[in-house]
Amino acid sequence: MTFRELTERPWRHRSAAEVFAWIPPAGAAPARWFTVGEWHARIGAWQQHLLDTPNESGIWRLFEPDPIEFSAALIAIWERGERVVLPADNQPETLANLRATGVALGAPPPAHEDDAPTELPSRPPRWSSRSLPDIAVSLYTSGSSGEPQRLDKRFDQLDAELATQASLWPLRSQLVVSQVSHQHIYGLLFSILRPLCEASPFAAQTCRYPETLRTWLQSSRTAGRRIILVSAPPALSRLPEALDWKPVSAALETIYSSGAPLSKGASDQVHELLGKPVHEVYGSSETGGIAWRIQRHGPDWIALPGVDVRHDEDNRLWLRSRHLASPDQWQRQADRIALTEAGFELLGRADRIVKIGGKRISLTAMDRALATLPGVERARTWTLQRRELRLAAVIQLTPGTMPHDHRHHRAMVKRLRRALAAHFETPALPRYWRFVDHWPTNTQGKLSAEIRQRLFRDLEDRRAPRWLGEHPHQNGWKITLEVPERCAFVDGHFDGQPVLPGIALVQWAMQQARRLFALRSDFAGLERLRFPQPLLPGDRFEMTLDHRHGDANESLRIDCDSQRGKHVTGRIALVTRQEWER
Amino acid sequence: MTTTALEHELKEMIIETLELEDVTPDDIDRDEPLFVEGLGLDSIDALELGLALQKRYGITLESEAESSRQHFANLKSLAALVESRRQK
Repeated sequence: MTFRELTERPWRHRSAAEVFAWIPPAGAAPARWFTVGEWHARIGAWQQHLLDTPNESGIWRLFEPDPIEFSAALIAIWERGERVVLPADNQPETLANLRATGVALGAPPPAHEDDAPTELPSRPPRWSSRSLPDIAVSLYTSGSSGEPQRLDKRFDQLDAELATQASLWPLRSQLVVSQVSHQHIYGLLFSILRPLCEASPFAAQTCRYPETLRTWLQSSRTAGRRIILVSAPPALSRLPEALDWKPVSAALETIYSSGAPLSKGASDQVHELLGKPVHEVYGSSETGGIAWRIQRHGPDWIALPGVDVRHDEDNRLWLRSRHLASPDQWQRQADRIALTEAGFELLGRADRIVKIGGKRISLTAMDRALATLPGVERARTWTLQRRELRLAAVIQLTPGTMPHDHRHHRAMVKRLRRALAAHFETPALPRYWRFVDHWPTNTQGKLSAEIRQRLFRDLEDRRAPRWLGEHPHQNGWKITLEVPERCAFVDGHFDGQPVLPGIALVQWAMQQARRLFALRSDFAGLERLRFPQPLLPGDRFEMTLDHRHGDANESLRIDCDSQRGKHVTGRIALVTRQEWER
Repeated sequence: MTTTALEHELKEMIIETLELEDVTPDDIDRDEPLFVEGLGLDSIDALELGLALQKRYGITLESEAESSRQHFANLKSLAALVESRRQK
C-alpha cells in the first residue's frame, strides 16, 4: 500500500514524470495526463505569489474551485508553515464575514469574475525546512446557533482519518473523480488529500453532471484507470435512466456518497444503473468520518476503525474518535441514534439543523435572517419533503405590506429571496411561502404540526385553497385564503385570463364550515347568491362564514371580499344529513 | 415577441416539475435567466430539468453536457435545444 501521512509531506516524494491529475476531454481536445512535474511548477507559482502578497497575519483564505490550483496553493501555504482557512462557499455574505480573517487567495467572488487574476506563471518549487503549521486547515460550518463556526483540523487528525480510509478502501492508483466541493471536509479528504497521500491521480475538474460522468467513464477506459467516484445524494439520486450506462459501467471502481443519507431507492437505482454499490460515509465537519454502510448489505451504519460509538438516554450520539481534536474523550453530538445488532441507525438531529441538497442549513439562522428583513415581523421555516427536500416559510408581515394579488406576492417573494441570497446558497432559500397577518396557532398557542399541514394543504390537494389563518367574527368565522396559482378549478378555464369559477368558492365554504362549525349538514342549494366579480389566481381574500339554523331552514351565510371588492355574497341552503338519508 | 407553443409547454413543464407554486407561465420571460437572479432556479433544479427533458422529449444531453447546460440559460435557448434535439 502506498500511503504517506501528510506530515511526511507526500507531495515532495514523487518523480516528476508520474501522473498527478487527469485533464478530461474538452470538445475536440482529448483527455491528457498532468504530471507531478507540472504540478510542482504550479506549487512554485503559488509560492512566488505568496511571496509577492503582503500578509502580516500568516493566515490565507483560500477559495479555489480548480482542484489542481487548489492543491498547489494548499501545499505552497503549508510549505511556508502558515495557516489556511477554507470558506465553505463564495457567497458575498460568507466572504464578508471572513474579511478580517487572513488574506484572500483564489477565484474571485461571483459578479467579479471579470477581475479574475491573470494565471500565475509556473516556476520550480522550493522545499524549505520550515515545519508544518499546527493547524492544517480551518473549515467553516453552520453551528446550531446559525453563526458560522470555525473548525480547526490538526495534521494528526487528518492523518488518522486518511490512514483509516487508505487501509479500508485503498485507492490503488485508480482515478478519483469528484462531484463535491473540496472546500468542505468530505471533498477535501476524499478528492484532494486521499489522492495526494495514496499517490493516485484525480480529475482536474469537478464532474458536475451525469452526462459528464458518462463521458469521463468512457474516456478513462482508454486512460487505463478505473474511476473512483466521490459523490453525494443530490447527484446520485438523479442518475438519468435514459443514459446508456451499461457500456461504461465497467470503468467504475467504487462510489462514495456523503453529506446526507442516500435513500434506499436511490441507492438501489445507482447499483442497478452503474453496477456498483454505494459506500456511504456518515460524518460531519466537526467529527470527521464516523461510520459507513453499503445499503445492499443492510441499513445499519458501522463505525469506522478508531471510532467508538454509544448513546445516552436521550438517544444522543456520544463519540470517541481519533478524528476528533481530543481523541481519548467521549463527546456528545447533535445527532440521535439507536444501536442495532449490526451497528446503529440514525434518528435525526436534536437541533434545528437540516440538509438541503447536501448542504447544512441552520433553520434558526434562516428564521433570524428573515426576521431582520424590512416588513417581516416574525418568521418560521421548516423542511417540506416534496419531490426534493425544500424549505417552507411562514412569514408574518407588518400591516400594510401584505401582498394581495399574484403580482405583489411574487414581488414580495423575489425581494425576500434576493435579500436572503447574500447569506445562503440558492437551494437553501425557501421555496414555499405563506404570508400571514397574525401568527397562526392552535388553541394552545402553538404553530402545531396540524396548522403547518393546513398552511400547505393546497400542495397536496390541487382543489384546496391556500389557507392563511382564521379568527372568530361575530357569530361565525373569518378565514383568510388565497387562490393557488395552480388550483385545479382555475386550470384551463379561460385561456386568456384564468379566473376562479364561483362554484369553487361554494365548495371551499362548505369545506371550511364542516371543520369550523362541525357541520353535519349537506348542500341543498344556493339562495340569493351573487358573484359580483371573479377571483383571479393568486388573489388573497377573506371568507366570512356564518352558520344559521333558525326554525326550519338551516343556512350558511357567505361573503368573500378582497382588496378589489366583493366576490361572493349570499346564502347556501343546508339540509341536515339525517333528513337527507331518510 | 410572442411566445411559441413550445415555449409555453416548457414554461408549464418547468412550473410543474419544480413545483414553483407561485409562478405562472406569464411570469417567465423568455429572455430572462432561469437560474439564480432571474427565476431563481438552482443546481438541484438543473438536474431535475435535465431529467424532465429526457422523459418528455427523449433528449439526452450526453457528452457535451457542460455546453448543453448553457442552453438552460433562458427559456428561448431551452426551446432552441428542445427544437433541435427532441426525439419525441
